Amino acid sequence: MVNYLIVLFALTLVYFASTERIVNYIRLIGIQGLLLCGIALFELSEVNVLNLVLIAAETLLVKTFLMPYLLYRIVGNSGVTKVHRLAMPAFYTLLFSIFALLISVILADSMLNSFVSIVFMTTALFTIFVGLLLIITHRLIISHIIGFMVIENAVFLFSIAAGNRMPVLINIGILLDIFAGVLILGFFGLRLKSHSNELTKLKD
Amino acid sequence: MIVAGLLSVILSALFLPGIILRTKSIASGRKGPGIFQPYRDIAVLLKKDSVFSKTTGPLFRMAPAVSLATVICASFFIPLSRYGALFSFDGDFIFFSYILASGKFFSIIAALDTGSSFEGMGANREAFFSMLIEPAFFILMSTFIMATGSTSFKEIYENFTVTGNHIVIIFSIIGVLVLLQIALIETSRVPVDDPKTHLELTMIHEVMILDNCGFDKALIHISTYLKMAIYGLLIFNVTVPYNLGIIQQSAFLVLTQVLFAVTIGLVESFRARNKMNKNPKYILTVSAVAWIAFAIILIMTK
Repeated sequence: MVNYLIVLFALTLVYFASTERIVNYIRLIGIQGLLLCGIALFELSEVNVLNLVLIAAETLLVKTFLMPYLLYRIVGNSGVTKVHRLAMPAFYTLLFSIFALLISVILADSMLNSFVSIVFMTTALFTIFVGLLLIITHRLIISHIIGFMVIENAVFLFSIAAGNRMPVLINIGILLDIFAGVLILGFFGLRLKSHSNELTKLKD
Repeated sequence: MIVAGLLSVILSALFLPGIILRTKSIASGRKGPGIFQPYRDIAVLLKKDSVFSKTTGPLFRMAPAVSLATVICASFFIPLSRYGALFSFDGDFIFFSYILASGKFFSIIAALDTGSSFEGMGANREAFFSMLIEPAFFILMSTFIMATGSTSFKEIYENFTVTGNHIVIIFSIIGVLVLLQIALIETSRVPVDDPKTHLELTMIHEVMILDNCGFDKALIHISTYLKMAIYGLLIFNVTVPYNLGIIQQSAFLVLTQVLFAVTIGLVESFRARNKMNKNPKYILTVSAVAWIAFAIILIMTK
């Protein structure tokens, strides 16, 4: 079951690279949260029940509902609906994401160890690359926030992979999520001026 | 039963366009034409003579027949589950793909032969989109080859569902997704192209055949329907288990082809066609999804 969810997670990354509407990014962030919740529930069989409930609740509440809700609010306030017109066309982002996928497979293979499954390692690396691509190739701060969240999901996925042996790592991952949610969305997101499609400076 | 695949392609091709038409009629609340209307239109076209422009040469005259011949040739290689294909050899999927591509090549040069700027534009787009979708098919087939260890359609589908590996369902799902999109693109349907469009600037395949009429146009339509049936059969082969009996296989074949046609009809009813500049991205997404399947098999074989 975990494998199916991970493949779905990887498919969401392809659609991250191909879409150009902010609303679609937000929906994909929500879907990724839901998938991570499922992956955590199926994968973390050796973690104690209380911790598992905490992890599942965090992924469900923070990643699936709270963050997409805050992002919807930001989009509503700022009136930004699409990526910047000067952002790299999705065609090239997709091409780069395909390269990223292949590099992830090669990297994961070269870093193969007995602690982390290669499936998790590949997907986590692919997620990091797609998050970085979103940050590098887009110009709006909302895209950068979304790119950061994607990278955060990669960290979470990686922590789940090692979670049965190091449960504390997952809790640290959760703390990072909440920290990033409050800091990034609170400081940058909610302070965006309304109806500004041309966000060239951080203070815009 | 070595002609089972060929027979299924021909039988499916008889019903597919009609079912698409009926689905579109029902979805838009119209009474609509009957299921065999596309073939009544073809019968009318077959009775007519072809009229050729003075600027066209022999290439233009032979292209529709060559195009139909290549599609018929390609259908010889498609098996119906364990009931083998008419011809089968190692690497036949490459032959299959390139024989279809050679048919397309003739259509493209025939369009260029007319000297019309619109047809040249359509030929340009058709070549570009075909070039973009080709990797998706080959990556998908490479995935199947690595999963089954076979290199011909017949053997790939024989071994596909009996590998005993539960991950094969993932390949089935991705296979259906990718083959469906390839079928939509290769047979010029919405969202990439629209067979009913009448604005030359937005047309792809239809603009290429503007100069064809009568008998030649009928051949072009028949080859499109056959091509659609071929992709329907490819989808059937990746979804239905190999070890079912002949009656179950037949029932599933009918079900898969009807679902395939209804899906195309529903896509055309409820989805707008893409803006022309969004098409390359759309097609590349299909390749990216195929790459995911390939990455999975790469990881699995470690």
